[in-house]
Amino acid sequence: MTGFLVRRLGQSGIVVLGVTIITFVLTRLLPGGVARAILGPRASPIEIADFNHTNGLDLPGWQQYFYYLGQLAHGNLGFSYRLNESVGGLLQDHLPKTIILLGISTLVALAIAVPLGMMQAVRRNRLEDYFFTSLSFALYSMPPFWLALILIVFFSANLNVLPPVGPQGAISTYLDPAQISALVLPVAALALVTIALFSRYMRSSMLDNLVQDYVRTARAKGVSTTGVLYRHVLRNALIPIVTLLGLSLPGIFSGALITEAIFNYPGMGLLFWDSAQTRDYPVLLGVTVVVAVATVVGNLLADVFYAVVDPRVRVAA
Amino acid sequence: MRIPGLRILAALGFVAIAVAACGNNPSTQQKLSGGTATFAEAPNAKPNYIFPLTSGGFFSVANLSQFQFFMYRPLYWFGQDGKVQLNSSLSLASDPVYTDGGKTVTMKLKGWKWSDGQPITSRDVEFWMNLLKANVAHWAAYAPGEFPDNVTAMSFPDSQTIVFTLDKAYGSLFFTFNELSQITPLPQHVWDKTSDSQAVGDYDRDATQAAAIYKYLDGQSKSIGTYDNNPLWQVVSGPWKLKSMTTDGHVAMVPNKGYSGPVKPTLAEFDEQPYTTDTAEFNVIHSGGVDYGYIPVQDVDQRNSLTKYTFTPWIGWQITYFQINFANATNGALYKQLYMRQAMQHLVDQTSYIKNLFKGFAYPDYGPVPIKPANNFADAFEQSNPYPFDVSAATKLLKDNGWTVNAGGVSTCTNPGTGAGQCGAQIASGQKASFKLEYASGTVVVAQEMQALKTDWSKAGLEVNLSEAPFDTVISDAFGGSTAADMDNWGGGWIFAPDYYPTGDEIFSTGAGSNGGAYSNATNDANTVATTTSNDVAALHTYEDFLAKDLPVIWIPVNDSQLSLVKKTLHGWDPQDALLQFYPENWYFTSS
Repeated sequence: MTGFLVRRLGQSGIVVLGVTIITFVLTRLLPGGVARAILGPRASPIEIADFNHTNGLDLPGWQQYFYYLGQLAHGNLGFSYRLNESVGGLLQDHLPKTIILLGISTLVALAIAVPLGMMQAVRRNRLEDYFFTSLSFALYSMPPFWLALILIVFFSANLNVLPPVGPQGAISTYLDPAQISALVLPVAALALVTIALFSRYMRSSMLDNLVQDYVRTARAKGVSTTGVLYRHVLRNALIPIVTLLGLSLPGIFSGALITEAIFNYPGMGLLFWDSAQTRDYPVLLGVTVVVAVATVVGNLLADVFYAVVDPRVRVAA
Repeated sequence: MRIPGLRILAALGFVAIAVAACGNNPSTQQKLSGGTATFAEAPNAKPNYIFPLTSGGFFSVANLSQFQFFMYRPLYWFGQDGKVQLNSSLSLASDPVYTDGGKTVTMKLKGWKWSDGQPITSRDVEFWMNLLKANVAHWAAYAPGEFPDNVTAMSFPDSQTIVFTLDKAYGSLFFTFNELSQITPLPQHVWDKTSDSQAVGDYDRDATQAAAIYKYLDGQSKSIGTYDNNPLWQVVSGPWKLKSMTTDGHVAMVPNKGYSGPVKPTLAEFDEQPYTTDTAEFNVIHSGGVDYGYIPVQDVDQRNSLTKYTFTPWIGWQITYFQINFANATNGALYKQLYMRQAMQHLVDQTSYIKNLFKGFAYPDYGPVPIKPANNFADAFEQSNPYPFDVSAATKLLKDNGWTVNAGGVSTCTNPGTGAGQCGAQIASGQKASFKLEYASGTVVVAQEMQALKTDWSKAGLEVNLSEAPFDTVISDAFGGSTAADMDNWGGGWIFAPDYYPTGDEIFSTGAGSNGGAYSNATNDANTVATTTSNDVAALHTYEDFLAKDLPVIWIPVNDSQLSLVKKTLHGWDPQDALLQFYPENWYFTSS
């Protein structure tokens, strides 16, 4: 198991390094000069030259990359000349907000989708199964922006019971009641779609497992229906959900651009989008590295959790 | 005969009228003290730089007019009653006095105080000037030869008096509106140091040390999350102090209790809220969640349904145009021909664009001086529309100058040469009237306007190949000599601030830093110089009339800067300032 982890970590490092090279090259291929774009129409040639020198933009590309890599090794992700803040500071501000939004919505989705999928599997082809299957299809096929707008129209504009924007201001205020209520709609917009996805996987996985021999054996040994479901079937049925969770980890770090834009929620998705629009290279690189690390770690964690929930993986490792 | 019922009815009617009248008149409503007013920032226009000596990357309305000015007041304040004029009441100094034929200017401070109780003195102005002179490369408003280069000597006879000796005689209008307007006294007794641990001294009087001070203060400005607890930023001259700020643009301000100005804040707090899109902001407006916001132009038809708000367009002090590149290898020769520029301008249907695209919330632009808000800088000729929309006139201009016009297609030069009736210098036979115009993406109405222009120009066979790019790319191409396009519309034209006197010396003079199209005309250069040296506004009229005729750019309508929506319970905000500043110290709530 240890050897497996070491190998995977080594591979992960190479992947992250590759991502930095590709992103660095791609950002330099974007059209237009950075200095003029940042400084605007009033900028004098002196100011432009000064800007390029201060930010190392007058160096050859490869030197800029190695300088960046050196800084990265020291934990310095760079400085955003457009947003006037270190990339580390920006991530410190935006990342927790995205983790809160995506994390809560994922947990809510899991808390509902797992029992829902189980219930549908156990009561398959009955009225409640048909009802929730239809609802899941409806929610999953809805574009997220449309679902978000429907929620805003209904709960904010018509009923006026929830704010149309997510929590605003410093994250230290997020525990205020007003801020918590502001989180309801964005979390709901994300969770509803995820519930639909997870519950379908859960139902399908449960159905696969319910007809397995070990279930028949357990029942023959006199294990109760509840015991079979919760102690045997659930554990095996969760394997595809673990895969999904592992794959969704990068999303938790990279943000949900559309939902963030609609609910005016300053998370990682918007930060990345704005940076791409304004050629804010340091932020683009910083966010990409963080998301790359999250992707690699997500896959690693998924592998580890396989071992936890499925003893066969442990034995093989 | 007495009719008691009728009398009661009449009395009730009277009371009802009186109550209704009170409801509509803020002077009779109960004025509330305190409260928090919220202001919606424009999409992706959030403040992020606090130090008033601001470089190009941060030189914006969001940073200056709608953030720094609340805390750090310029020596001379411009904007009064919605007009572009010197506001003596809000200025830190009395009106400047020009002597020696305009070569010397004397300013006397009013004796106002910093928020820590220390007086604002001439030393604070000297501190600003020393920092500026040592760091001009970092100052966005710097143009070589102009302020502060044109101040050859400074003296400070006492703690309240500043005397500048200038390199030549200047007109008071130009020098006050465009040069003295750029001075912001800084708290020398707090900021004159090069590190946190260093004691305050007179370091700014040495140029090397002044550069180090700039580096220190600029560095302190590079951490937005620390603004609210950094002692440097706690000493202010304006009516507001920063309470808190986040990197995503949330700003909370509280009153500076030591403010010396004529109007003290009565609100307990005012907040600026950032919005990612105008749609997100409009959602909040629907739920009444912001006091001073805006309605996107595409939603403006809904304004009457927002009964909690007053709708008021906010007009800015600006001109709008798209730049044509006179130095372009392919089409520069065409742009250099006045008849061609005249034909192009004749094909811009400003009236139609304003009515159909901007839904009436725009006004025409015919020259280099803003015509709104009403002012005496824009004269009758400029406002007379020298080149009205006229396809026949455009066609005739082209035909009279050697072109075979192909309406709906591409016109071609068929009579090359430099004589009368010929296409003009460096225009070969067979050259096509085909142009590339790049415009800023992200604003629906700008895209619609450019499509309409393409259609209108084609009526005289002027082909326009449109391309869309992010604002930054258009700016970069327009001023960086890119050949991606030979016309550039970044969607914003030019805002005259903090150079409020619209002389255009930065945008249309030969070699000017922001003359990206490389327009050059000796008459215009002479006219421009005259606007800077004359005390008579007639010099400005001469300048603008010439450019209205000579067309250094193609003029297009100026859209209203913002379609404001203000809660009916919020008062004191009207009229809106043409320089896009606002005055929350004047605001107050009423109960209804």
